[in-house]
Amino acid sequence: MAFVLAFMAASLGSAYAASIQNIDLGKRAQVWFAEDHTVPIVALNISLPAGSAYDLPGKAGLAAFAGAMLDEGAGDLDSKSFHEALANRAIAFSARAERDYLVISISTLKEHAPEAMRLLRMALTRPRFEAEPLQRVRTQIIQSLQQDQVEPQRVAARGFARQFFGGHAYAHPIAGEIASVSSITAADLRAFARSHWVKSGLKVAVAGDITPASLTKLLSDAFKPVSGANPPPLPNIGRLGAPGVHVIALPVPQPTAAFGLPGIMRHDPDFIPGYVANHILGGGGFSSRLTQEIRVKRGLTYGISTSLTAYNKASVMQGAVATRANAIRQTVQVVRQTLGAFAADGPTQQELDDAKTYLTGSFPLAFASNSGTAAQLGTFQRQNLDIGYVARRNSLIQAVTLADVRRVAKRLFDPSHLTVVIGGTPADGRRTAPQVRRPPPPPGAQPPEQVPVTPASKPAAKPLDGQPASPQAVQKP
Amino acid sequence: MTGSKPVLLRAVWIVAALCAGIPASAQISDTAANRAKLSQPAPVNPRQTGNNTFQFALANGMQVLVIPDHRAPVVTQMLWFRVGAVDDPPGISGLAHFFEHMMFRGTKTNPDDAFSQTIAKNGGETNAFTSHDYTAFYEQIAKDRLPLAMRLEADRLANLDLSDAHVAPERDVVLEERRMRVENEPQALMGEQMRAALHLSHPYGRPVIGWSEELRRIDRTSAQDFYDRHYGPNNAILVIAGDVTPEDVRKMAQEAYGKVPARELEPRAEFSEPPRMAETRMSITRADARVPIFSRLYRVPSYAQGRPGQAEGLETYAQLLGGDQTSMLYRVLVEQKKLATDAGASYDGFARDSGEFSVYAVPRPGVKLEALEKAVDQVLGVTALALPRDNDLSRAKTQLVASVTYRRDSQFALASAYGQALTIGLTVDDVNEWPARIRAVNAESVRRAAQSLSKRQAVTGYLIPGGGK
Repeated sequence: MAFVLAFMAASLGSAYAASIQNIDLGKRAQVWFAEDHTVPIVALNISLPAGSAYDLPGKAGLAAFAGAMLDEGAGDLDSKSFHEALANRAIAFSARAERDYLVISISTLKEHAPEAMRLLRMALTRPRFEAEPLQRVRTQIIQSLQQDQVEPQRVAARGFARQFFGGHAYAHPIAGEIASVSSITAADLRAFARSHWVKSGLKVAVAGDITPASLTKLLSDAFKPVSGANPPPLPNIGRLGAPGVHVIALPVPQPTAAFGLPGIMRHDPDFIPGYVANHILGGGGFSSRLTQEIRVKRGLTYGISTSLTAYNKASVMQGAVATRANAIRQTVQVVRQTLGAFAADGPTQQELDDAKTYLTGSFPLAFASNSGTAAQLGTFQRQNLDIGYVARRNSLIQAVTLADVRRVAKRLFDPSHLTVVIGGTPADGRRTAPQVRRPPPPPGAQPPEQVPVTPASKPAAKPLDGQPASPQAVQKP
Repeated sequence: MTGSKPVLLRAVWIVAALCAGIPASAQISDTAANRAKLSQPAPVNPRQTGNNTFQFALANGMQVLVIPDHRAPVVTQMLWFRVGAVDDPPGISGLAHFFEHMMFRGTKTNPDDAFSQTIAKNGGETNAFTSHDYTAFYEQIAKDRLPLAMRLEADRLANLDLSDAHVAPERDVVLEERRMRVENEPQALMGEQMRAALHLSHPYGRPVIGWSEELRRIDRTSAQDFYDRHYGPNNAILVIAGDVTPEDVRKMAQEAYGKVPARELEPRAEFSEPPRMAETRMSITRADARVPIFSRLYRVPSYAQGRPGQAEGLETYAQLLGGDQTSMLYRVLVEQKKLATDAGASYDGFARDSGEFSVYAVPRPGVKLEALEKAVDQVLGVTALALPRDNDLSRAKTQLVASVTYRRDSQFALASAYGQALTIGLTVDDVNEWPARIRAVNAESVRRAAQSLSKRQAVTGYLIPGGGK
């Protein structure tokens, strides 16, 4: 059965691949398009080399601040008029900064696609950065940073990035710090937009109800006036990680432990085996070893998961777990043991087979909607993969052997290298060992939040999720 | 529709509302008339009941809805039950949600977590959620695995094997879930307190996740009783969206679910709330809150309860008043008066009993919550007197109607919309006609919605950052 399913899934992969086209927008830009006329909407996922790693010294949060200003006025439209231009046509338009990229998500009814692209062009090329919206957005960011200082997941994630990435530009919070955000001026934002909202390195993924010809026209018009300057290169990174347990004290009932190890770069042939190994250890819902050991057997947490993330300059295998204050040290201990056992023995053949059937079989789910397809293609683009990867991806996973995963598990999951940052105060009477300084606020070490691509949608349920994973697709490497 | 500012206050507040359990809701569905409607034999063969929806029923009472979508060779199966936290027995709040977790803990033929494992092995995703009014379980999977997913659902519908060894750790898991969602989140905590105060006697005042003291009382027996009383095919609505035909689904569903016998169900209790005679106010001071928040929850009619057009009026009013950055609250409080950094409103009318209308605002540094509240009340006062401007009204309606087109992009969102409607006593027609009903909303019905909000039917809350907990 496993074989049959894998075969089917692989062929699905090629079906998608066949329907994904390149759109020519000049040699420095990459545009992928999946045409589908079922639902009259168009979804776009646009990545610019304008992530937080490019923040200037002392200006942490600059990239995210600039992104937050994207719909706050441009060209002849002030902030209010820009918002109205979007809302009058129910165009969903949002931007979120990651470490390497600024990711812009747009969903529009097909008849408003030209207007959506016109607004995008204005936003990228003629941003106004006026005083009123700038001050308002700054205050919003600072309030959010203030609240983050007392949220254990945030505190742990930010502390982790700081420890793990040390002096590199990946170490500081994507959203910045209160002091740095306070110091950012309109001139800083303008200069940043000029040098980073550029089409060299531009990546665009589109899915939905439009023809290739109209899309080509719309995108060429939208990006024609966008600067072709090259963004400055990112520095290389030194040693990753600060092994040990670091505690950031916080009086909360449920501390969070963020933990991680150096990962595997995307171009490394071991990345795919590493991805499979991570899935078995902590990636996949109920069946992962960490969920079994920590949630199912011991009832210690509502959810624990790990991910293997490759940025342009570094890779990290990172996870997080939250539990009551008197169980957090024990939980970290179980994490360590589970990692150690996995590094020593690797997975069973059954675990590997199950992981492969899941990872290959669930791949088509990512392409069940226009917004999902655009988001998934955008993820592949940001990992610098080629358009043929969509077709190859399942066969690469299929080819992973038990020996591969054992080798990579040994390489990845060495518990003695584990960096752990606890946000919250363990209730075990122990002195809080190596004390990290109190939350100079946040890195968004956690994977950037998934932005809802649909606007104010008539909500289905407002449910209380029963289990951790959210249905709305996690992006698949 | 606003940009995704790194600013999360709006988002956080919404999450708080979700997690503190489904906001209140409306009543109709278990009236005698409605019961009769539900128990009427639906056609055995799929009948088209909308642009792209097909319905039929199995002999054991299970209702089935099919929504074909052939874009990708995948399907979403959702099994919705007309049971939720309102059905928690007195003294054991949280049982319905806890029980939803137990549905993943095994049967004799698929012991332990074989359910999740089998779905995962076959490339599928599975999960579930619980609200006050309903509980839903779902799988998303390749279309040729749908019979398998149906067999597994049918198995746990009929043969769940509850053991003490599973109950105890799962109870701890839910206590951790509560700490994560509520106790670590001051806004969620405030929402929970406000809902408890909003509902004088209705179980919408109890959190879906349960009070921790009561959660600890859950044991195998209470879970077993809950299963026996509420989980039967005659209490379920199966929704299948994806790359299938109605006829395929009929055959598969008959094969998988047809043999599960109907159960004698415990009738759902009827709740009716006494009128509120006084405004309620509360201030909560928390060390883990760093940003003050003003919020108010109103008890209002839901789609299931309201007069024709009333809920749609409230829906449009909420969008116009506080749906996004072009709304009145945002414009006046945030942009013009500069008293707030964020402000908004929303209406949740998808409930069997009362609906909930909420308003919130976050003050700029140095602005007192009292001053902010006064400014909010001024905006509310204006909307109760003056008709909305044409372009504001038409923008609000455009956005609501477009949301239905966007929803069609997602099998999950689409299936959820129908499943939710059917479990709270609405019909497929109600869902299909919603855009037309929104288009029919006029300025006068928006003003009436504004006039209908009464502080006596509301709880006003201040979240205040401060010293002790």
